[in-house]
Amino acid sequence: MTTAPKVALISVVGVLAALAGTAHADGSLSMRGVYYKERATRVVQPMLDGMFDVGTRGTLAAHLLVDAITSASASSGADNSKPFTEKRYEGGAAYTHELSNLRLGAEGKYSTESDYTSIYAGVRAEADLFQKNTTIGAGGGYAHDKASAGSAQGLAQPMVQCSPTKTANECPLDSYSAFGSLTQILGKNVVGSVSYDFSKLDGYQSNPYRTAITDTGEVAERNPTERTRQAVAGTLRVFVPQTQTAFIGAYRYYWDDWAVHAHTPELRIVQQVSYVADASFRYRYYHQDGAFFYQDRYATGDVTMQRYVTDDVKLDSFTGHTFEAKLGVFGEAFGAGGRWAGARFEGILEYVLQHPRFGNAIIGQFALTVPFDY
Amino acid sequence: MVRPLVRIVRHGLLLALVVSSLGGCVVVKAHERGNLAKRSMTNDKDAGEARFNQHMTGSREGADGGTGQPGGGCGCN
Repeated sequence: MTTAPKVALISVVGVLAALAGTAHADGSLSMRGVYYKERATRVVQPMLDGMFDVGTRGTLAAHLLVDAITSASASSGADNSKPFTEKRYEGGAAYTHELSNLRLGAEGKYSTESDYTSIYAGVRAEADLFQKNTTIGAGGGYAHDKASAGSAQGLAQPMVQCSPTKTANECPLDSYSAFGSLTQILGKNVVGSVSYDFSKLDGYQSNPYRTAITDTGEVAERNPTERTRQAVAGTLRVFVPQTQTAFIGAYRYYWDDWAVHAHTPELRIVQQVSYVADASFRYRYYHQDGAFFYQDRYATGDVTMQRYVTDDVKLDSFTGHTFEAKLGVFGEAFGAGGRWAGARFEGILEYVLQHPRFGNAIIGQFALTVPFDY
Repeated sequence: MVRPLVRIVRHGLLLALVVSSLGGCVVVKAHERGNLAKRSMTNDKDAGEARFNQHMTGSREGADGGTGQPGGGCGCN
């Protein structure tokens, strides 16, 4: 571990220790570390999440994270398949205010890396109805992104073809989104929810480093500059008191005007091991159709004959599977007292079968959440 | 941009219709919701875990979005 992450880690542990000793606030502080590994890419992502009560009716949630990506993939900007490391920094905050049976919230997020920046702002509202047996929610947001080919290796920055008629150092992408949700208690041990999401993207949606293969040579990727994406999802949670087991079934259907359709059913089983520990298993199936313009190899790269060309396998047809095991233990299980008794330690191990071009992935996570009050 | 907005309004009205019909659904009183308040029945994923999962699927699958928040600095188009 290099010096900077060490200092950050020591600082975070110091803050957690200080809060555990002298806290007088209501909220929680969570530290999570993620390690992701696939054939050509490694990701280390430390993150810090905080949640604080603001007055008697407000809640503030904030997060900071660093995404350290080491990749030898050309589509990540690697030069001649030489591995390089790039860091992405992200920070965000969300405030929610409670008014009787209504909750109103606003959130913002900013992310920056050498070749991509993004800023997001959104609002949301939730209302409880019928003696809080029903909750409806709605919201929307706007994101403005900027992509360039300013790769992490310090190469001279090439121009990017933002659209058929525009070339520039960096290309913008505007995204507008809206969603609605409904949660309904269906029994003493059953709750269900449905949601609908819509987003409209307008701007550069290609990868400046990626080239498509054609019979006449490689050409820069040209994806459409507009995309309308929609998704409906449903979740059903059933609790079995006799065994203290929760069964969570979810299904999501996604479609867009690039002709990508995806089905994602998922099953989670959460078993309460004792009052201080729980274990869960998750299986997720994923299948998508390819975009209308995706081909492994194009006959020509001539824009007059082939308007869109891509080598993005995220636009190919494929099937994926995710297997996950999670263990959560509270500090009380280790004999801890005071605030540390309510601290939650969590470990997650995931194995993901994804598109063969990426290769399968293995993911490990460790998290520590410490509650405090003031 | 207008047609998608019309679609959103249409879906919103449909949602409102469904909600208005829920008044007749089974009503579970507050003191009967002990099991529904458990972590596994409310939100069994922390914010950080959900955020990482969303980021990972967004960079490896074509069906990103549908989470009420597009973009956010994936940098992995």
